[in-house]
Amino acid sequence: MAKKKKSGGLFNSIKEFFQELFIKSDYVDYPLMFVTLFLVVFGLVMVYSTSSYTAELKLGQATYYLVRQGMFALLGVCVMLFISRMDYHFLKKFSVPLMLVVIVLLVALPFVGVESHGAVRWINIFGFQFQPSEFAKPIIALFTAHIASIKSARIGELKIMAKVLILPVIAIVLITSENLSTGIICTAIACVIVFVTSPKVKQFLVIGGILVCVMIGFLLVASYRLERIDIWLNPEKYDSGYQTLQSLYAIGSGGLFGKGLGQSIQKLGFIPESHNDYIFSVVCEELGLFGAICVIGMFMFLIWRCVIIAVNTEDLYGALIVVGIITHIAVQVLVNIAVVTNSIPPTGVPLPFISYGGTALVCVLAEVGIVLSVSRHLRVAKEY
Amino acid sequence: MLKPHMKRKILVVLVGVFAVALLLTVRLSYLMIAKSEYYMEIAEALHDRERSIKAKRGVIYDRNGVELASNKPVCSVSVIHSQITDEDAVVDALCGVLDLSEGEVRKKVQANTIREKIKSNVDKEIADKLREMDLDGVMIDEDYKRYYPYDTLASKVLGFTGADNQGIVGIEVAYEETLAGVPGSILTMTDAHGYELENEAESRIEPIPGDNLHISIDVNIQKYAEQAATKVMKAKNAQRVSVVMMNPQNGEIYAMVNVPEYNLNEPYTLVGMESYEGSKQDALNTMWRNFCINDTYEPGSTFKLVTAVAALEEGVVNLDDGFSCPGFRVVEDRRIRCHKVGGHGSETFAEGFKNSCNPVFMDVGARVGVSAMYENYEKLGLFEKTGVDLPGEASSIMHKQENVKAVELATMSFGQSFQITPLQLLRAASAAVNGGTLVTPHFGMYTTDEAGTVKETFQYNMEESAIEKETSETMKLLLESVVAEGSGNKAQIAGYRIGGKTATSEKLPRGNGKYISSFLGFAPANNPQIIGIILIDEPEGIYYGGTIAAPVMGEMFANILPYLGVEEDYTEQEESSEDTNETDGIDVELDTSSQSNGNDLIE
Repeated sequence: MAKKKKSGGLFNSIKEFFQELFIKSDYVDYPLMFVTLFLVVFGLVMVYSTSSYTAELKLGQATYYLVRQGMFALLGVCVMLFISRMDYHFLKKFSVPLMLVVIVLLVALPFVGVESHGAVRWINIFGFQFQPSEFAKPIIALFTAHIASIKSARIGELKIMAKVLILPVIAIVLITSENLSTGIICTAIACVIVFVTSPKVKQFLVIGGILVCVMIGFLLVASYRLERIDIWLNPEKYDSGYQTLQSLYAIGSGGLFGKGLGQSIQKLGFIPESHNDYIFSVVCEELGLFGAICVIGMFMFLIWRCVIIAVNTEDLYGALIVVGIITHIAVQVLVNIAVVTNSIPPTGVPLPFISYGGTALVCVLAEVGIVLSVSRHLRVAKEY
Repeated sequence: MLKPHMKRKILVVLVGVFAVALLLTVRLSYLMIAKSEYYMEIAEALHDRERSIKAKRGVIYDRNGVELASNKPVCSVSVIHSQITDEDAVVDALCGVLDLSEGEVRKKVQANTIREKIKSNVDKEIADKLREMDLDGVMIDEDYKRYYPYDTLASKVLGFTGADNQGIVGIEVAYEETLAGVPGSILTMTDAHGYELENEAESRIEPIPGDNLHISIDVNIQKYAEQAATKVMKAKNAQRVSVVMMNPQNGEIYAMVNVPEYNLNEPYTLVGMESYEGSKQDALNTMWRNFCINDTYEPGSTFKLVTAVAALEEGVVNLDDGFSCPGFRVVEDRRIRCHKVGGHGSETFAEGFKNSCNPVFMDVGARVGVSAMYENYEKLGLFEKTGVDLPGEASSIMHKQENVKAVELATMSFGQSFQITPLQLLRAASAAVNGGTLVTPHFGMYTTDEAGTVKETFQYNMEESAIEKETSETMKLLLESVVAEGSGNKAQIAGYRIGGKTATSEKLPRGNGKYISSFLGFAPANNPQIIGIILIDEPEGIYYGGTIAAPVMGEMFANILPYLGVEEDYTEQEESSEDTNETDGIDVELDTSSQSNGNDLIE
């Protein structure tokens, strides 16, 4: 304290800024933090298990993917811890500009994007590649939560609801044209936030019905998507059903307790890029039904903790952000597992925390950081 | 502040998520319990790779245990792209040592495949050089290649093997099952690219080596017959010369020669066919043919012994029955000539046989009649394959019995207007001189395992008393007289009693001046230990069997008989005129004051 007085005005103002920014409470939702850290570490183990063989073969370095993912995990955990100590309310200031930046980036993407895997989804800034659509998910959550919390009183009115959703819808349309699965996730985030805020129920059934019709129309318009459905129902008939079949072989050969960690055969090139979207099938093969249920249980525990935080917070904005993040993580986990088990037509959705991918990992950890920050506020609020 | 409906809705969302998660868990349980076995089976089939281990092919030995076909260690060289550290060094080494073009090798070295074969059948010494260089990514596998130590010896009998060591022609294919053995296998797990996985339990099934085969060929007899055949082929500038040497008592073939023989170690190099029509494959097929069994020919005068057997069996002729030969015989509207233009005049059957007189045989044939003649052909196995243990044996081409009229019967009586294989004739002749047993000509005698213990001894059909013993005794005398005093006299050798019959068959179409000169002989005449036939295809110049084929047989017998341990028998030879007494009961008159007829025309 003595130091501060000596250092003068500038230091004071910085200090004040940080005092404002950070919550003084030492409380944080430790179960959520630990389950998150556990999932990250488990993800690193699985990334190494799935990628080491092919990495050794193709790049001559078994730990290639592990090291990269490990660096992002470290960065992500730092970001998470940093954000968890911040007062999430300051995010209100950024939600509108960030939303606009995302829309601009999405519009610019076809012109400045980098192509990879046959799709233009990456933007390269200062040698750092990232996917705007990956950032769009938390930003849509923050933006919708912010606007919905402001308009919560009258959100039951369609006009107000439309005002809340207008920018997210623009972003979603732009994303969906490029990447259907991310579009679906973003739609789910925005819709669930509005659903929770609104006192009404019937109109959401109507919206749900409309969305289903749009989906069906979407499928009928693009015939290649219909073919996808057929590939889903009869994967063995199509060349492009290969990945799905290989995934089923992996899951099926896992049995009750699996072959043991590292013992998967399907990861040895049979499942293409098994460290990405299909990592869960290798989890099944190596750890069996037991391991797979444990992983699903872990995710459900994480979501349950988030729900506890959302329900207990007295702050609507915070609760809605958490709801958006819950939706993001839940939809992604459920869709990924559904794809891997061939329960729905294949679509490329990574498994949060576990699949290989730096941008996604840092984003999802930042989101958990926000939830942790909300949990701190919850404790602070109760103390008053 | 959170309103109550918001909390409720958050819980609705939570319940929704849990419900979907539960559904997915059920789905997962279904896949991992109910369908587990199904998917696991498919997955394992996908991962397992069977790599076969070649079984060592059995060795082929001659009757004295000399190796005719064995295995030579060779190596196959391949590269594994991902293991190569110094590409240039590898390419240089492979080009230099294996004598290959750089472009080709570099392409293979750069091919990102699991394993690229550079060259197979590399000699061990050459492969050892590469091995010494110890280059990363170069794999040398040991293998066995079929090897024939005698190159051309009995090539058309032995045959050769293909790239997978499988028999392609000859004995190699006839005894494929015996020789091949059972390949073993290594079951390994592989990744999607086919790389074998280390540390995965592999199951190995050891190969079972093939059994060794011992055949009745005698290297020395075969070699000698080949030399003699080659000599006469060159001397007469003939297309080819075939020789078969057989034990008439049991059908064991000592030698089967078809010169020009080809090199079994280079079976795809054409020999003696510098120019050919049609595809090279056709030319190769022709080169690999064994004319002794794969092709038929008109036997000509050698076949008269069959007519004689039929007549004796049917009892329609006595040796001293009188015949007359004016040089031709008119049968129905046809005038069929004797080879002796002026005719042999008046002669007995025995003399007619010795003279190989066509009218005599026409008369005898007519006495036998069509149905009895066919019955006797049947008894001598002329309507069936000999049953020799080689692939592709040809069947005889005979008139249908109902189509045989007087003219056909007459021509058949002296060996024309039908076709049989040389081996069929040799088999029939064996029965005529061995006491009447129809043997099965064969090569395979027994098999042994690696340790040399006999595993299987082959049994062949022996039809005893196919013809009467007396008939056979008479035939021996008749045939001996042909060599002693008749057209086969050039086959005579000092100290041995030889029997035989010559033939000169004009090839079809008639009148093109192409002949097959042949001689069928056996020795000793009183107790045949060896019977042989020689066929000279399209000789130039003098083409009479008695002049060019008989002396070759004589020469071969002169060497082979002592080799077989047959004792010389001068006295009997010298007293040949008197030894007719042996055949008591049959009145044989063998005129010793042989016309020594140097009469090449007599067939």
